[in-house]
Amino acid sequence: MTLFTSKQGNVIQLRERNLTMLTRDLTMRNPLRLLDDVKDGLLEPGDFGAVSSRSGGGKTALTVQLALNALLQGKKVLHISLNDPVEKVDLWYQEVLNQMAGQYSEIRINQLWDMLLPHRLIMTFLAQGFSVATLEERLLDLSKQNIFTPEILVVDGFDFDGDCRPMLEQFKGLALQHGFHIWFTVNTHRHEAPADNGYPVQLGNLSDLFKTILQLKSGDGPVAIRVLKYPEGASPKANLVLDPNTLLIQDPNS
Amino acid sequence: MKYDINKIRNIGISAHIDSGKTTLTERVLFYTNRIHTIHDVKGKDGVGATMDSMELEKERGITIASAATYCQWKDHEINIIDTPGHVDFTIEVERSLRVLDGAVLVLCSVGGVQSQSITVDQQMKRYKVPSLVFINKCDRSGANPDRVVAQLKEKLGHNPVVLQMPIGLEAEFEGVVDLITMNALYFDGENGETVRIDEIPVNLREEAEARRAALLETATMFCDELMEAVLEETEILPELLLNAIRKGTLDRSITPVLLGSAYKNKGIQPLLDAVNALLPCPVDVVNEAHDLRNPDQLVRLEPDMDKPTVSLAFKLEDGQYGQLTYIRVYQGALRKGDTVINVRTGQKIKIGRLVRMHASQKEDIDMVPAGFIGALFGVECASGDSFVSPGLNLAMTSMFVPEPVISLAVVPKDNKAEINMSKALNRFTKEDPTFRTYVSEETGDTIISGMGELHLEVYIERMKREYRAEVTTGAPRVAYRETITQKAEFNYTHKKQTGGSGQFGRIAGFMEPVADEEFVFENKITGGSIPTQFIPACEKGFLSCMKKGPKLGFPVTGVKICINDGASHSVDSSDMAFQAAARGAFVEVFHRAKPVIQEPVMKVVVETPTEFQGNVMGALNQRRGMIVGTQDEGMMCAVEAQIPLAEMFGFSTVLRSLSQGKAQFTMEFSSYRQVPQSIAEEVAKKIQEEKSNVA
Repeated sequence: MTLFTSKQGNVIQLRERNLTMLTRDLTMRNPLRLLDDVKDGLLEPGDFGAVSSRSGGGKTALTVQLALNALLQGKKVLHISLNDPVEKVDLWYQEVLNQMAGQYSEIRINQLWDMLLPHRLIMTFLAQGFSVATLEERLLDLSKQNIFTPEILVVDGFDFDGDCRPMLEQFKGLALQHGFHIWFTVNTHRHEAPADNGYPVQLGNLSDLFKTILQLKSGDGPVAIRVLKYPEGASPKANLVLDPNTLLIQDPNS
Repeated sequence: MKYDINKIRNIGISAHIDSGKTTLTERVLFYTNRIHTIHDVKGKDGVGATMDSMELEKERGITIASAATYCQWKDHEINIIDTPGHVDFTIEVERSLRVLDGAVLVLCSVGGVQSQSITVDQQMKRYKVPSLVFINKCDRSGANPDRVVAQLKEKLGHNPVVLQMPIGLEAEFEGVVDLITMNALYFDGENGETVRIDEIPVNLREEAEARRAALLETATMFCDELMEAVLEETEILPELLLNAIRKGTLDRSITPVLLGSAYKNKGIQPLLDAVNALLPCPVDVVNEAHDLRNPDQLVRLEPDMDKPTVSLAFKLEDGQYGQLTYIRVYQGALRKGDTVINVRTGQKIKIGRLVRMHASQKEDIDMVPAGFIGALFGVECASGDSFVSPGLNLAMTSMFVPEPVISLAVVPKDNKAEINMSKALNRFTKEDPTFRTYVSEETGDTIISGMGELHLEVYIERMKREYRAEVTTGAPRVAYRETITQKAEFNYTHKKQTGGSGQFGRIAGFMEPVADEEFVFENKITGGSIPTQFIPACEKGFLSCMKKGPKLGFPVTGVKICINDGASHSVDSSDMAFQAAARGAFVEVFHRAKPVIQEPVMKVVVETPTEFQGNVMGALNQRRGMIVGTQDEGMMCAVEAQIPLAEMFGFSTVLRSLSQGKAQFTMEFSSYRQVPQSIAEEVAKKIQEEKSNVA
């Protein structure tokens, strides 16, 4: 596998290994960590991250991998989708996990899936009726009854085209209050030129809110992941790509 | 009686609970003059809807068994299967779909695409049944057909094509605009029997034009002639447009959408017209049968009356005059006096009486040609059996039957009840393949098992009512299973030397978990360390242990056994010795392969007004539930969770009380999952207690 960087040739009988080993193996191999050396990823509680691309450019695939990576580290992820039904989002996770852990036996993947599931919750809302207040109410429902306390939020399908600063500021307040960070997907459009500061035009005036901005650029071959903005002190590797077939992250140099 | 196959429609009407499909069927029968008064499902006149012929159904207001009926609408003959809506009876829905050529999916204009509609839609996909959508209850407050159409797209992945537009909604719902002929349709008379064609109201004209344009755009994809007509802006004939839509409907690339209100008698006649014009006749559908001599080969059947007969019994009913068998003919024809063969048993059967069913009344006929649905009298068979002409060796596709997940002990009150009970059980197991029954070896009790609490409840009720069998029931039991999680090796010697001929067998190899398979046996012995003639005995020995696991006595699944070494003795080795060796090896190795208990886990979807969402999630969470997600849809929201079946008993009562009766739920089997340690201990303890009680 090209996914290995330094461990190539080090063949291990994976089937015999237990689940903790498996999860560690998957996180170690995950090229996502090449985005940043900091162990906990690119964001800290209260921070925002953005993944931007044109529609169909692989935003959801990438955010689901970010989420799965966090799940494998034992973190709780709340996935909020404003366009897809629960089943579809669930399918994304299953597909990506199957791809990531493709060479393990089916039994092991099922066990892993059973282990990860309780840490993930999907919420879908109608895009028109969505408000941060509703979300806060739901979160309160969950935490009051001790059902679920997310550590990471993924917000897929939020509309950045209008004036969304007030809503994002509400999100910020929520994130700081509950101590989680949020990954947003940002849909860009073909005809638009980037903003003066080089960010997608939707984020031009909002970039102060975001600690990390990733952009997916699709061409003929692999989808390039460009790191437009990253927190101070981090040293992300700039040339990761998404495999155009599996949409899995890869390090083209390995 | 004429037999024009192009004018036959075999259709099903399926939907979510309470979407009003029984009410709709009732109206259809009324307009086609099959019945002369309309009775409502929960009507005040106490008669109940005609299709709900079982007493129990009338009482509960739900349809349990599907009855087949036929009617005529404008020179077309329509066979209607009224399919049940509750998920516990999915097998009935699936069986109906196998014999249908097309379906009408009824959706509620308020509730939209609900969980059960999704299940039903998946089944329709599996059997490739072309369908129409009827958006019902447009008169209800909160009606929003556009939202339902959007859901059809998003949730079910259909490509809906709206053929009508409502004139007013909710209480002001008056009629519909037909976008094909561009007329307004109103439904006059006491029961809406007169369709009045009028001009489109002025205020709706613009919207109607826009919607028609959208309709044309989609329809042109399926017909070049229509495309030309649109491009040249000539007049578009309704027939041309209907033909294009029909083409798209048949290959399931579009789904025509109609609307109305069955309860208010609006929009039913246009729906019947659409069934005639758009849904397939038996010739349009490809039906295939399995060739039994060559299992992988599928044989295409042709609905030709002169070809040898192939037909399928899809439903049984116990009538006053013996067993009534609903049958669909796929090829040839069934004639009175013919001899056919039951492929499963090889029995020859002479056809005595053929009837056509209308709920509980019957009408004698002489022949059931290909494409038609009829019923046979006095034929012994099980549902799913195929009847063919002598000389043929074809069986209709075997239908997918899920394994039961819940069981319950039934004890008859007295001797008479016992006799009646066995009669009833015998009948039910023949009618419904998901309903099973057996006698427990340990307790001597009769155990019944099925797909859910309600499923079993209904059969117990039927036993009491139809067979006068008074029974008491035990607590429902979940079907646990045992499986292993690790590979382990074994090397076991069975030796006995106590007078007479001795017994000797040594068997070695390993056991490992396997996914999606119950039992796999692999023989890797080289050099004849176990003589070939004893290998089947080894397999038999292992297999005999699968029924009752060494851990707690539940059935074992997901085990692969591989034997690679052993030893035999020229005199003392026998089939018996190797079977015993295999059994010994199994028990010994099983404990080392980290055995675990698994339980059935259900996918539960609760639909609730948003204000109760928190309570609902709390209740689900308490039941060892894992909440997969929540879906907000304005006023209502759906919570999806995975919950062990063992925790779901009595959930309906809890849900009712915490939501003031406004929430409802559906559940279906999802998968088997490992039972947590603490619960496994409880289960073990309970079993210990039961054992000591018996002893």
